[in-house]
Amino acid sequence: MRRRQFLGSLAAASAVGTVATLNACSGKSDTSSNGTVNLTFRQFDPPTEIAGLKKVVKAWNDTHPKIQVKLETLAGSADYAQQFAREANSGSGPDVVHLGYVNVKDLAKPKILLPVSELAEKSAPDTPIDQFLALDMNRFDDKVWALPWTVDTFAMAYNKKTMDKAGLKPPTSWPELLSTATKLGKSGTVGFAFAGASNPDAGQWFAINYYLWSNGISLISNESGNWAPGATAEQFSSAMKFFNSFFTSGATPKSMVSVDSINDPQIVAGLADGTTAMTMMAPQTVRQARDTSTEVVTAVMPDGLTDGSTHLGGRSLGINAATDHPDEAWEFVKYLNTAKAFADIPQYPAATTVLDKVDAPDGEEGFQKQLPHSRSFARYIDGPVPVDTLQKLSCAAFGAVYSGQKTANQSAAELVDSIAAAIKG
Amino acid sequence: MPSSATATLATRPSIGSQPTPRPRRHRRLSTPYLLLAPTLILLGLLFALPVAYNVWLALHKVTPYDALGDGTFVGGANFVSVLTNPKTWLSGRNTVVWLTLVTVVLRLILGLGLAILLQQAVLRRLHLLGVARTILLLPWMIPPTVAVAAWKWLLDGRTGLVNKVLVQAGVIDQGIPFFGELSTVWPSITAVLVWRELPFVVIAFMAGLQAIPSDQYEAAAIDGATSWRGFWHVTLPNLRPVITVVGLMITIGSFNNFIYVWLTTGGGPGTYSQVLATQLYSTAFVDNELGKGAAIGLVMSAVMLIFAAIYLTVGTRRIDD
Repeated sequence: MRRRQFLGSLAAASAVGTVATLNACSGKSDTSSNGTVNLTFRQFDPPTEIAGLKKVVKAWNDTHPKIQVKLETLAGSADYAQQFAREANSGSGPDVVHLGYVNVKDLAKPKILLPVSELAEKSAPDTPIDQFLALDMNRFDDKVWALPWTVDTFAMAYNKKTMDKAGLKPPTSWPELLSTATKLGKSGTVGFAFAGASNPDAGQWFAINYYLWSNGISLISNESGNWAPGATAEQFSSAMKFFNSFFTSGATPKSMVSVDSINDPQIVAGLADGTTAMTMMAPQTVRQARDTSTEVVTAVMPDGLTDGSTHLGGRSLGINAATDHPDEAWEFVKYLNTAKAFADIPQYPAATTVLDKVDAPDGEEGFQKQLPHSRSFARYIDGPVPVDTLQKLSCAAFGAVYSGQKTANQSAAELVDSIAAAIKG
Repeated sequence: MPSSATATLATRPSIGSQPTPRPRRHRRLSTPYLLLAPTLILLGLLFALPVAYNVWLALHKVTPYDALGDGTFVGGANFVSVLTNPKTWLSGRNTVVWLTLVTVVLRLILGLGLAILLQQAVLRRLHLLGVARTILLLPWMIPPTVAVAAWKWLLDGRTGLVNKVLVQAGVIDQGIPFFGELSTVWPSITAVLVWRELPFVVIAFMAGLQAIPSDQYEAAAIDGATSWRGFWHVTLPNLRPVITVVGLMITIGSFNNFIYVWLTTGGGPGTYSQVLATQLYSTAFVDNELGKGAAIGLVMSAVMLIFAAIYLTVGTRRIDD
């Protein structure tokens, strides 16, 4: 009898434990006995970059005792959007979620997110919803599924001292970049550092696109309703030869062919200590480099003042369709987009009325000049091929040329075929 | 009890004076199934269900963003697409030759050599056996991601320690991006994998060596056998079951391995170091084609079944001999 009682208690305890664990894992909002709504906000930026955000969330919690927000960080995970989809599909996951622009459409299609345009009709944000940048990346089926929150682009970051010493100025065109970087390379400096690895998420993706867009072509394009590769094999081949000439001319060290991250420590440290003259960087990375040396400053990318020659990236805020508290979650999203919140969040806001009031920090003039001319990846998002697939195909194709695995003509022809096959599905 | 006897008892009609009560007989018949049930349920949940789901995925067009059960049935189209893609064959060749054959053979040879060295009496005499074993185990204690990060730094073309030493020694003029050049990428991945995974093989072989009765060596010595003949005629035959099991385990582990290639090169430069596991991942989670990814997974499983069958047949036959 005693044994049976013990086994019964054990089973009951296990059941209670399992339920408690499952509840804890679900991360979903709840309402406590005193009527307080508890929300979870999940973000994926590195913990070193969220001090301002933590301050803003704390300020919200202090002023909204009935709606408490728990900040959750899922940094370093490339598949954060898929992780969120898995949770949301099973009715769990955070209430408010931080998303890259490119992921919004994937989550909108299966209706995992709540359309914020409908919430905005009930309660409008400080900035009217149509005055947010990058709205095209967040729209699907005539609805806005996530509210653009921050915007960024990659500017030309350079070490002023190194450039001055060589008597050179930041280049304004791509051919000029190559010739300037080659001159610097001959003196033993890294002329232009870029992450030239072939990984599916390699940083050269941005340089490749900026170059293609600057030359009036793209990876994929929509000609009168039909999607097709956005350039001919000859055009891709020419672009591959152009980037390969950075390595062959000594403008970029060969070691960069195995560097995948645009924020790689050797790029950031090299720019700060002056052994690297130029690279392309996001605002957060420039700030990181400037912590070491204020000689790191920015200019616009080659051809960066031409509309659509550079990309407009950033983060959106989405609301889980499975949340029990959509209105409270929307209030919090609106708060994160206010000028008051951006006083502590060191990023460029997507709300244009707030952006207009932001003074670019020292050294970030390049971003301020370039941002109004940057365009989102909507030109790819609307197509039938995931942006990640285009990145994978192009990085591997360009990387194959740098390493000598394929000739530029071979690799370009294969890239055209691969894009065409991906369009076909 | 022979099964025929069990069957007779089970089907024999009850005899008048001592009838077997029906519920009791049923209970007796169902007892083995009841006892096995928890194991069978666990196996079903942990193995059969995921396999069945994988098969379902392979027959559907489905993305990682779809809810469980959503997807369009496409029959064998995913398999056709995967098997007619030339990249699959390049990945397959890399998987079989570099990731599996080369690393398995290297580990078996080096593992056996090191295990024999660690058995030498001189190490015990000098009280160095513990130190040697600890040093040997170190790579295995380091998580693979950390090991890869360390090797990536060591082999970096510009700032890596290996290149700095080689340049300073005058062996090379400028650093080699080991993970970025065609001639060095596979030897570098192989080196990292073998370095990290070798201790397991050595430990297994050491256990096998310790189980060999010493009188066999004594008998061989009395018969005038040299060390080499002793190794060939005593050590190897005794180790054959261990070699078979270890070989099978590391073959399966290598064939399915994802982490070393993904973290070092991501399949590059170009597509030069792409293997089936990295192709599976990028198809499923970069291209959002879960069905095609699942099809690659099933093709890999089929190949592994062939490997396993060959290994087990050869191993069993030799043990029987």
